[in-house]
Amino acid sequence: MSASVSRIREPLVLGNKSYHQITEDLVGPTEKTPDRMWVIAFILSVSLFAYGMFALIWTFYFGIGSWNLNRTIGWGYDITNFVWWIGIGHAGTLISAILLLFRQRWRTGVNRAAEAMTIFAVMCAGLFPATHTGRPWFDFFMFPYPNTRGPLWVNFNSPLLWDLFAISTYFTVSLLFWYTGLVPDFASVRDRAKGIRKKIYAFVSMGWTGAAKHWQRHEYLSLVLAGIATPLVLSVHTIVSFDFATAVVPGWHTTIFPPYFVAGAIFSGFAMVQTLMVITRKAFRLQEYITVNHIESMNKVILVTGTMVGSAYLIELFIAWYSGYIYEQFAFYNRVLGPYFWAYIGMMGCNLLSPQVFWSKKIRRSVFWTFLMSIFVNIGMWFERFVIIATTLAKDFLPSSWSYYWPSWVEIGIYLGTIGLFFTLYLIFARVAPVVAIAEVKHILKQYGDQYLGPNAKEHHQEQSEKAH
Amino acid sequence: MKQFIFEAKQKQFLMGLMALGAVCLVLSYIFEPDSIAEAGFHQRFWSNLLHNGAFFTGMAFMTTFVIAAFVTAYSGWHVMFKRLWEAFSLFLIVGLVIFVLLGLGNVFHLHHLYHWAAEGITDPSSPNFDEVIAGKAGFLNNGWYIGGTLLIGGLWYFIARRMRQLSVQEDIDGDKVENFAYHRKIRFWAALFLPIAAFTGPALIWQWVMSVDAHWYSTLFAWYSMASWFLAACSLTILLLIYLKSLGYFEKVTVEHLHDLGKYMFAFSIFWTYCWFSQYMLIWYGNVGEETIYFKERLTHYPVLFYGNLFVNFALPFLILMRNTTKRRKGTLVFTAILVFIGHWWDYFYMIKPGTLITAQEAAHAGAHEAAQHGAAGFVAGFTIPGLLELGIMLGFVGLFIYVVFHHLSKVSLDPVNDPYYEESVHHEVQPYE
Repeated sequence: MSASVSRIREPLVLGNKSYHQITEDLVGPTEKTPDRMWVIAFILSVSLFAYGMFALIWTFYFGIGSWNLNRTIGWGYDITNFVWWIGIGHAGTLISAILLLFRQRWRTGVNRAAEAMTIFAVMCAGLFPATHTGRPWFDFFMFPYPNTRGPLWVNFNSPLLWDLFAISTYFTVSLLFWYTGLVPDFASVRDRAKGIRKKIYAFVSMGWTGAAKHWQRHEYLSLVLAGIATPLVLSVHTIVSFDFATAVVPGWHTTIFPPYFVAGAIFSGFAMVQTLMVITRKAFRLQEYITVNHIESMNKVILVTGTMVGSAYLIELFIAWYSGYIYEQFAFYNRVLGPYFWAYIGMMGCNLLSPQVFWSKKIRRSVFWTFLMSIFVNIGMWFERFVIIATTLAKDFLPSSWSYYWPSWVEIGIYLGTIGLFFTLYLIFARVAPVVAIAEVKHILKQYGDQYLGPNAKEHHQEQSEKAH
Repeated sequence: MKQFIFEAKQKQFLMGLMALGAVCLVLSYIFEPDSIAEAGFHQRFWSNLLHNGAFFTGMAFMTTFVIAAFVTAYSGWHVMFKRLWEAFSLFLIVGLVIFVLLGLGNVFHLHHLYHWAAEGITDPSSPNFDEVIAGKAGFLNNGWYIGGTLLIGGLWYFIARRMRQLSVQEDIDGDKVENFAYHRKIRFWAALFLPIAAFTGPALIWQWVMSVDAHWYSTLFAWYSMASWFLAACSLTILLLIYLKSLGYFEKVTVEHLHDLGKYMFAFSIFWTYCWFSQYMLIWYGNVGEETIYFKERLTHYPVLFYGNLFVNFALPFLILMRNTTKRRKGTLVFTAILVFIGHWWDYFYMIKPGTLITAQEAAHAGAHEAAQHGAAGFVAGFTIPGLLELGIMLGFVGLFIYVVFHHLSKVSLDPVNDPYYEESVHHEVQPYE
């Protein structure tokens, strides 16, 4: 870290915290019995999840026929939701790995919860392809193990298979990264715990004592994992985009898909982080750790990535015209003015236009607006995938088979189920682990605590003195 | 030393480079490859002008973009050498002159760089009529080529100049520094420039570069070529910083700053490759004739360009810059920066030259479609690979670019003492884990 921090920067830890106070504030929530709000939220989430499981079992029992797929749309709701969840699962590792490389200190306040969210989102995403391979009991074919099927192989030319490799690698690395960061914090919890809790946290903190050697290994491992995670953040959604772009379907086959999908993934991931953070900081009274400054930074990321995605939409639209390729032109005409025009409006409105309100500093720093916008973006990014998938497939090359698709209750049920699963896992996580990385916040306290920086700073860094020479 | 003095010796040397470039440019006007010589298009000359014009103007554009991005993202480490980048950004105006020249060339049919600018191309009654290009005429036309360039490029230049003015004023006008008034103003222009650049950059790239293959299109093309520009600018930054440091300037730019620039060069080389691969892979996999023709032409007739591009711009920087130590050693850093700079100049050669050659051949052998359809056969001087004249022209443009940069650099203090992040940049340290 640099020795000096400019006065123009805002503090990242408020409330004149001491190291002890940080431990108290952040470990505290894991030590209390859950309050009523938590219990209600948990029951709701589990119920949603149970409903999703019911819909899934219904699918297994009655078959895919219970979905509304039709002659042109063989991929509907399930793949839309898969891509949506995978996209959401991008923010965590971006914050932990790429923002680490870019030395963005505000990541320390939000990285833990974002990483947790990433892992849960990837789990929700994985559910869709796993249950939609047609014969899920043969899913193990796709994993690399010695072939016992003679000449029968999985299709290595298929991006769907690459997806499996990319996502399972991403999931593994994200999980390891998250857990590595948790070890010192679990040790902090352990040191204050009694009885069976102490035993459990002692087990999960792997005998962490905070010795210099432990820290050295920990930092080294974090660096290696960050190095591996960085290309993974890009590769996962790149390969998801290949699922579409390698096909010669007008509207899908376009070269901007890989980076544009990655930008969209970061966009939607940050929106989901905002949704969760706004609730979490309120529920656990963490406003001094997840400050308005943190929220503003994330809103800026949303504005940047939203505009990137928006410019990609317009590039696509323009090049479709420019290409002079009538099928490409039709695909986009159909997107904008066809039967699914409402989805296109939803996508453009929520993803390109609505984030533009974040040009205003006041709105960027408003918790209410942040929450509202994060919901908008979550919806908008869902629309984006629906637009790409349903609109494009509904009208294929053969006008006699054109169709219109809307999901059945079973498909909607599975989607709601994954939302239930996501929040169930997040609620459990928020109870058992510190939602803000204790060790990392302590690490930046002496530079970014409000007693060291900003208008209330007691001790200023040597500012102007050195300019003399 | 806070004040850069543009010495006569340097001026002479740079003038010498420019003279060399000018001579080579004239020679390339005279020595046209045999296969198109009789048509008298002087395609080699014009395509060299386009190639270098696009490459060096783009560097200035991407530098402006990076300044804007860094300011917006609260970056502090780079302010120690921000004067250099500000000077880069002012080259935009020279670039605009070149493109206006090229645009006038379109209007008066002085060259055949762009198939869409050919006479009667949008006129159904003309033998030259091309239905696909006629469909694009709303974008690809002489008026918008000059108009768009002036409008968009002028806007870029205006903002670049504004940001530099404020940045320089911040230095002089110390009183207002307390509340960061100047910095906040720079932030305003920087934030404004980002979306403008994001939307207008691709528009000019399509027009300037992608449209040399007038039928072909790729949505990723703009982002890919912007990455290329940034890498060129980044490598030239490293080279100039090391040179200026050796003269005693920029003494507060340490190995730590160079290390971070090296990281950018490393990371963006990978990003460039990512874009290259995404574009190639999707077109190869899709196997649609209208799209694959671009790579078919290049793979068949320009294998050296094609593979050389990947080797110099991906394999070498990736392997050399992987270790931390290489990014902190001046020797390796200079070596890699030269490679990357030439590599991306090569990349633009690869984007522009094959398309312009086909256009010239088609125009030269109008009616004789056989020749055109087979593309460039055999070795064509100045097109198949960069020849000696092309290298000379590149050196000339390097001389011009550095001359402009040094000229602007000598006007202001190198030390941005009133930048709010000044201290952070002075004490900048790269640690392996933070």
